[in-house]
Amino acid sequence: MKFPSPLALMVAAACAAGALLVTSARAEDATIVAPVTRIELAADGKSAKATLKDEKSGEVTVTITDDLTLDKFKDKRIQEGDEIRARFDKKDGRNSSKSFKKTAGC
Amino acid sequence: MSRILSRCVAAALLAATPLAATAADDEIMRRIDSLSREIEQLKAQLRANDEKVAKAVEEARAQPKRDDRSLDRWLTIGGDYRFRYDYLSGETAAFTDVSSTFNNAQQRLMGDFFANPTGLSAFFGAPQAGGMTTSQALSALSGFQQAMNGVRTYNDATAFLSQPQNAGLVQGLGMFAVPVDSYKPKNESLYTNRLRLDLHARATQDVSVTARLLAYKVFGAQDDDAVVNGGAAPFFADRVGVFDGTLAHVPSSSFLAVDRAYATWSNIAGRDMWFSVGRRPSTNGAPGNLRLNEPRPGNGGTPALLVDYAFDGMTLGYAPDIDGLPGAYGKICYGRGFESGLRHTPANSIQDTDMFGVSVVPIDTDKLRVWTQWNRGFHIFDAPVMQGTFFGNTAPKADLGNIDWFGAGAMGTIKKAGPGDLNWFADVGLSVTHPNDNVSAQFGFQGLLTGGFFAPEAPSSKRGNAIYVGARYDLPSRTKLGLEYNHGSKNWITFAPAADDMWTAKLGTRGNVYEAYVIQELDAKPISSFTSKAFFRLGFQHYDFDYTGSNNWVGAPVRISDVNGQLMTLTPLKNAYNVYGTFEVKF
Repeated sequence: MKFPSPLALMVAAACAAGALLVTSARAEDATIVAPVTRIELAADGKSAKATLKDEKSGEVTVTITDDLTLDKFKDKRIQEGDEIRARFDKKDGRNSSKSFKKTAGC
Repeated sequence: MSRILSRCVAAALLAATPLAATAADDEIMRRIDSLSREIEQLKAQLRANDEKVAKAVEEARAQPKRDDRSLDRWLTIGGDYRFRYDYLSGETAAFTDVSSTFNNAQQRLMGDFFANPTGLSAFFGAPQAGGMTTSQALSALSGFQQAMNGVRTYNDATAFLSQPQNAGLVQGLGMFAVPVDSYKPKNESLYTNRLRLDLHARATQDVSVTARLLAYKVFGAQDDDAVVNGGAAPFFADRVGVFDGTLAHVPSSSFLAVDRAYATWSNIAGRDMWFSVGRRPSTNGAPGNLRLNEPRPGNGGTPALLVDYAFDGMTLGYAPDIDGLPGAYGKICYGRGFESGLRHTPANSIQDTDMFGVSVVPIDTDKLRVWTQWNRGFHIFDAPVMQGTFFGNTAPKADLGNIDWFGAGAMGTIKKAGPGDLNWFADVGLSVTHPNDNVSAQFGFQGLLTGGFFAPEAPSSKRGNAIYVGARYDLPSRTKLGLEYNHGSKNWITFAPAADDMWTAKLGTRGNVYEAYVIQELDAKPISSFTSKAFFRLGFQHYDFDYTGSNNWVGAPVRISDVNGQLMTLTPLKNAYNVYGTFEVKF
């Protein structure tokens, strides 16, 4: 059996890394900074959908399930009109929030 | 258009006539050419019109819509009103009042002079006391006070006091001493009004301006006498009078002061980075928000244990998005505590007083918020600029050195701990002084936590520490029960004169402070904003002082039990009590 040369291995590794990068780019986090225009809490209070209105990409709806953010919706620490920095996964046509917070400053 | 069309049709008919004469052909061709040119011109006009319309539409899109400019889209107005009742009582230790002693000496020597202008002084006329006449004695006191003001350093001070005539005068001051026996100050009803107006304007994308206007006054007065022991030696350095760092945080007048006004640029370079400059939100920080029934200060604010001072300054902050550390951020802060004006002039040797700090908050969630902070005060002044105090008009006259502060703390909420939610916190602080050789002439040659009045001490670094712990239990009935405790060591010094305490900033106490309170929010539907509310607060504070000079960095602390008639500028308190009740409306 003939082993591949080191150069070939390096090329293969580079290709694999590239493929990974491409893969991760496909599953990339998306980040948006925009005012939240609508917040809809689920009846059971365990999830919410927040719509952000971005000048560039239009309206983006993000699904939130973490308690930290849900609590802020419930006690109005995050309200419609607040500017939000949201990081989310685009998967299966759904935007799942990974981080949803008011833009920092003060 | 119809005319053009008819000409086109005519041209077409003419062109289609097979029997046309040759002479007529040329005419027809000229007309066709002419018509073609007209058509091209018209097409060009139409294109120009289309471009104009498209440009106008684009411009209209770029302009904010009327709805986008409506006030509620860019301006938020809020604030609160507070009525507060205080019952204050305490007990002092016996001491000798410096200011009254000097005043007494001056008055009695003047009286002696006017009674016997050419004779020997009744006080310094004896040969061993200098054998002075009444006028010489009066001149000697005046000269002594002037020469005092020329003392800058510890070495100057020791030389001054070892000079025989000065030493004699210091000893002779004993004849005019105004001893103040222990007494029990009490105010059974102190009422105050406080109004705060908050404005937040989103000026452009990522740039906003925030302002707070604040008025805080005593019922029946337009001054601060009720909280500074008006007419007698004040109890604490942070309650001698109102100055830039405490304006409208200590009850004084009904004038609206600009307590906060700062511009913030957020999302710098597309990142969660911000720059903010102006009169800062550096008062009423965490975890003090619990007892004040206010929300956490977010990315703004300073740890209450280290800084509670209305600073003019700036901040550069960054909040990286780290999955394992939600809410994490860090910032560097700068503030100016005193502006000394033009330098290198014959009259000004005072430096600006500045504060620089670094704050790292590795996690900031409801369950857990952790903070760490270091800040340094540069060129610490001996007295701020104040008008009409017990000591007259005061101003910085000495740069005493630098102070470092280190702090770390945590707070959190345990939900459903029984019927309600439990909020808790723990905070520790360390202060380290770095004195220079200077002493404060206006305070009897005391240095940065060194020396006593006319008892200078060689400069040396002093370390102090403090702890602040507490909890608040929030019941479903909107009742909140709180307990707090803090302790400061002998050399503990903080920078918190603007704290919301009547006697003195409790977190600067060298000793122990216990506080218990209950808050009852009204079950009323919010109208002015989602977070508007009204509540009553009833609380009790007990100060148990171990050392003198809480919240004062001028002079060495003296154990309270050792205070026995020493010369002091401030009245030493052994203990103090404050029962308070408030009715507060946040809108």
